[in-house]
Amino acid sequence: MIAVILGGSGSGKSELAEATAVAYGQGNLVYIATMQPFDDESHRKIERHRVMRKDKNFETIECYTGLDNVILQENTTVLLECMSNLTANEMFSSQGAGSNAMDAVRRGVENLMEQADNLVIVTNNVFEDGTEYDAATKEYMQLLGDANRWICTIADMVIESVHGIPVEAGQEAVL
Amino acid sequence: MKLITGGAYQGKLAYALAETGLSAEHAADGGTCTKEEMFHSPVVDHFHLFIKRMLQEGMSPEDLAALAGDLMRDNPDAVIITDELGCGLVPVDAFDRSYREVTGRICCLLAREAEEVHRVICGIGTVIKHG
Repeated sequence: MIAVILGGSGSGKSELAEATAVAYGQGNLVYIATMQPFDDESHRKIERHRVMRKDKNFETIECYTGLDNVILQENTTVLLECMSNLTANEMFSSQGAGSNAMDAVRRGVENLMEQADNLVIVTNNVFEDGTEYDAATKEYMQLLGDANRWICTIADMVIESVHGIPVEAGQEAVL
Repeated sequence: MKLITGGAYQGKLAYALAETGLSAEHAADGGTCTKEEMFHSPVVDHFHLFIKRMLQEGMSPEDLAALAGDLMRDNPDAVIITDELGCGLVPVDAFDRSYREVTGRICCLLAREAEEVHRVICGIGTVIKHG
């Protein structure tokens, strides 16, 4: 089972994704953390997520780029958080794939799909603030939009979190 | 309590008034009203702007969450209208980041307790949580 949970900032998407992974996960639960901590604020964010996951028995794997190298045990349900960080890391980080970011994201997620019993993917809706960004940022948004559409064509369910309320995103995604 | 959410300029207030049969003078404006007005008004519009003002005055996110709890307890039949703020890129400004995040978290609290949650786009409301 592949589930995509999307939402804005503070939308409760992580909590919903954790609950989804726990509900489907019969064996091992693995949390793949893609947020590269670079300041106090990101450390606080990571800590908040750690506290939220504390009693849910996730093993945490920190992996900022190159998810195609991740090796999972059998009977594993994976929660991947999140596409927006992964895409940014592949595009902008020195370890990332740079101009091949989309390919790297795709291969990484496919690697998880091949090994995991269930895969829950968190992604971010960053597309609705009406701001005209610079070229690099627009390129990032385009890539994340493409990546989101791609996983939604494969996913068995796509749920949008609106203030923590799960809203079904509707019918088949079009690539 | 009923929560009405959606993007800016989607007709949320008009939708709320049509739903409740109330008129605009029954609505407190979170951008300008006092806490007392908010606690006694049947409709609270721009709740996100109330959160913004309180954060600007130095209120902590925890105290704001407690205040949201008090509001639901003391004004249990209120219709609360908020903008959905989270669906953009991470703001560059630290206050904007915090405001966006705190508003999201508090709206999650409200949505959890609300009898109904409506989401409005282009004036069209969808009930995403039923009573």
